[in-house]
Amino acid sequence: MVLIIKDEYPDKLFREDGKRLDGREKTELRPLKMEVGVIKNADGSAYLEWGNNKIFAAVYGPREVHPHHLAKPDRGVLRIFYRMATYSVFDRKRPAPGRREKEISMIISDCIEPVLFLELYPGTAFEVFIEVIDADGGTRCASTTVASLALADAGVPMKSLVTAVAVGKIDGEIVVDLSGIEDKAGDADLPLAITWFNDELSLLQFDGSMDADEFDTCLKLGKEAAEKIYQIQLDALRSKYISIQESVNQSSNTSGGDE
Amino acid sequence: MEEDESEVQEDDEFEDEETTRELVVPGEVLTEDVNNFLPGRGTILNDTRDKIISLHIGLKQINKNYINVIPLRGIYTPQPGDKVIAIVVDKNPVKYRCDINAKDDAQLKPKNTARRGRPRFGRGKDFSRNQRDDSNTETFDIGDILIVKVLSADRLNKPELTTVGKYLGKKNGGIVISIDPPKIPRVIGRSGSMIKMLKSLTNCNIFVTQNGRIWLRGDNIAYERLLIDAIYKIEREAHTSGLTDRIQAFVENEKTKRGIK
Repeated sequence: MVLIIKDEYPDKLFREDGKRLDGREKTELRPLKMEVGVIKNADGSAYLEWGNNKIFAAVYGPREVHPHHLAKPDRGVLRIFYRMATYSVFDRKRPAPGRREKEISMIISDCIEPVLFLELYPGTAFEVFIEVIDADGGTRCASTTVASLALADAGVPMKSLVTAVAVGKIDGEIVVDLSGIEDKAGDADLPLAITWFNDELSLLQFDGSMDADEFDTCLKLGKEAAEKIYQIQLDALRSKYISIQESVNQSSNTSGGDE
Repeated sequence: MEEDESEVQEDDEFEDEETTRELVVPGEVLTEDVNNFLPGRGTILNDTRDKIISLHIGLKQINKNYINVIPLRGIYTPQPGDKVIAIVVDKNPVKYRCDINAKDDAQLKPKNTARRGRPRFGRGKDFSRNQRDDSNTETFDIGDILIVKVLSADRLNKPELTTVGKYLGKKNGGIVISIDPPKIPRVIGRSGSMIKMLKSLTNCNIFVTQNGRIWLRGDNIAYERLLIDAIYKIEREAHTSGLTDRIQAFVENEKTKRGIK
């Protein structure tokens, strides 16, 4: 017997007190935590927890490109491997990379490329492996955020970090940082990524319907939300070194040594 | 060759007077005063040319009117003249392929492995049976640890190596450890102060190379282990100040703790 479980969405995506189903305000982000240097054997790595999303990213490179025909003689290539664990979603995710994984890998690569200096590394590749352990809406934005963090941790020269966040419309209201259920049952979804070098958008996808005014509001709210996420990214990157500095200072203070 | 007191000279960028030890991250605005400052190493002007921006996670350093960023992570980029530790990974009659911890494997051609000194024509040697003894070049095997000099390197071609020169050639014995290449200047210290201190405290021979590999050999394994711990401690705390004193205290402390005085 085939057991078919249909996705059931609630009729309303707002509670009676005006908050969203998970108790957030309209412009409130899910709890966000980032860490760098989590994978020892990688050149650079990062881990992110964003709501129920749990994502690892590992960077290797620059190194030889295999298969070799992908190498470019005049510049390096950025290869992103976005994969979801089989247990990351409600149904078992088939482990073979499908259309969706290939698309997300490509858009993340295209969206991070402008901040890198790939022309300095001809014939080589930077390879970023993004492993989604747990998924709950907005993994492409979360993956972009964590991939840029891992690249920065690897010491790859980059103009700035990249931050991505999704803005959307649920029940006729513009909200920031859609969760999985809001993404599926909502009216519109607008993931966007910002490169802070020139405050440019490097990713803008759109799915659903909204009018021009709402679109402008979305961009404005998205940028405000991205700024908050950017600060968390910077803190995560710095904290790896600052924590060592603090522990050193503490131990030298207790042992009476002077700096 | 075996008991060499070799050192690598390096600009002590970490120990520069003007190093502010301010931690910066990629994209961070270092200054908006572009009239008085110029972008140096590891920095870039933005498109409107009114801000200087960091490219790495590293330490901000002001040298005259240049703003530099000393990276804390990164890969080794071979430069002609560098002495590096290479591992032979492949071998054929035309060349050896060596891993030098850079983005490309390096080439070592037999013409660059010529034996130093006068060719040894031994009395009673049977040249007909073993032609290799007749050869004027050294032969290496896969897995050999070599100390080599980079002859040529650019971003397009594979680097070329040589084993002809002082201190260069195959290393027998000893331990090779690997650390982050940008932290190598810190292991050497200001005009070699750190490495001299480590050598005198642990009685080990150390050869520090630019590609992040360190060859070491001591009188006994206890000293070697202590030295390795100290080097990893330096790597971890490379961005902090007062490192030499702290490492000296650490080594002396550990010596008594481990009872290897």
